[in-house]
Amino acid sequence: MAEVNQCLLPDELLYHVDYNVWLRDNGDGTYDLGMTDIAQSMAGSLLHCRAKKVGKAVKEGKSLATVESGKWVGPLKSPFACEILASNEAVEVDAALLNRSPYKQGWIVKVRPAEGADLSALVDAAAAVDGFAAYMAANEFKGCIHCEGFEG
Amino acid sequence: MEPIYADAKYQEVPYAEKKRLFDEVKADLRFETQLYGCYECGICVAACPSARFYDFSPRVFAQVVSREDVHTFYELLNDSVWDCSQCFSCTCCPRQNNPGGVITLMREVAVNNGLKSAKDALKAYSRIIYKIMSTGTQVAPDMLQPDFFPDWGPDVQQVSANLDVWRRAIPPETMHTVELAWDVSEKTRLELYLIWKLTGNLEMIENIDEGLFMILEEVMEELLEEHGYDLEEIESVVE
Repeated sequence: MAEVNQCLLPDELLYHVDYNVWLRDNGDGTYDLGMTDIAQSMAGSLLHCRAKKVGKAVKEGKSLATVESGKWVGPLKSPFACEILASNEAVEVDAALLNRSPYKQGWIVKVRPAEGADLSALVDAAAAVDGFAAYMAANEFKGCIHCEGFEG
Repeated sequence: MEPIYADAKYQEVPYAEKKRLFDEVKADLRFETQLYGCYECGICVAACPSARFYDFSPRVFAQVVSREDVHTFYELLNDSVWDCSQCFSCTCCPRQNNPGGVITLMREVAVNNGLKSAKDALKAYSRIIYKIMSTGTQVAPDMLQPDFFPDWGPDVQQVSANLDVWRRAIPPETMHTVELAWDVSEKTRLELYLIWKLTGNLEMIENIDEGLFMILEEVMEELLEEHGYDLEEIESVVE
């Protein structure tokens, strides 16, 4: 598993560095998306995660879900134009799952890229390391914080 | 024009840029009713809660802006401007000066120009801005989390773990909400959204936090559309 400043980046996933999201290629033309270890650490203890409605078409860079911690709120940005196929009810009920299990149980939405969607900004873990190191430096973020019960 | 002090901060920023921002503050309609000359009596500093805790002085704002000291103005605009609690205790000034009012104008200029210092100062408050602009309430009870309030010690853990129980001890008309201080009606939210949209306040957020702007815009437009408002017409009014 790739690592940058104690932040984990599983090798089997793809990443969009600027939007700080991970993607799992399901092999059937769909992708699961979630917040990276870096994103969950920067946000702090998460309280709410509300995905947009299933069936909604979302443009590149627009919001797939709204995520809230105590004093922070931000969008989960879509790395490409897509349609939302499903959302994870478990994280809507208990958003702290995103802190405990950002990559395993903490997927937020399942999407299908729109026809002709540009996936070129996605990179694998090895290629994402430098980008995330620069992202963390630019945001003056020193390293990831893993809460009790963290399972990656 | 050379900086007054050899070790003055922000010497790398061109004078013209500092002057542009200063002129933007001065051009505000409210500016001419903020300052009427300073006695140097220090009453504003004595009344100021921020002055007790920070290296901060409302008198400095009154004097620097009156003197048109553009270099020090720029320093204040990037640093001390965020130390003010905007309580306006300083309006006890015997000359009717309003340093807090000058700071309001300066903050607006800092935000409208997307200054990095403004972004940094407001970074930790995005959910508070979100709550104010989307519901009209500011501090949400569920903000009481151990990692955001370490100064509360073990109490905050107890409160956050049993928040719904604690909230039942307050009057029922609040609806015992945990995400909001009290229940906010749809009519109130609709009025708020129209105000933020039509006054251009929503657009100010875009310069500071693009993600927050995106979320707010979606929330507001959804409710406005639901109530039959023509968003294009609203945009044309703003323009």
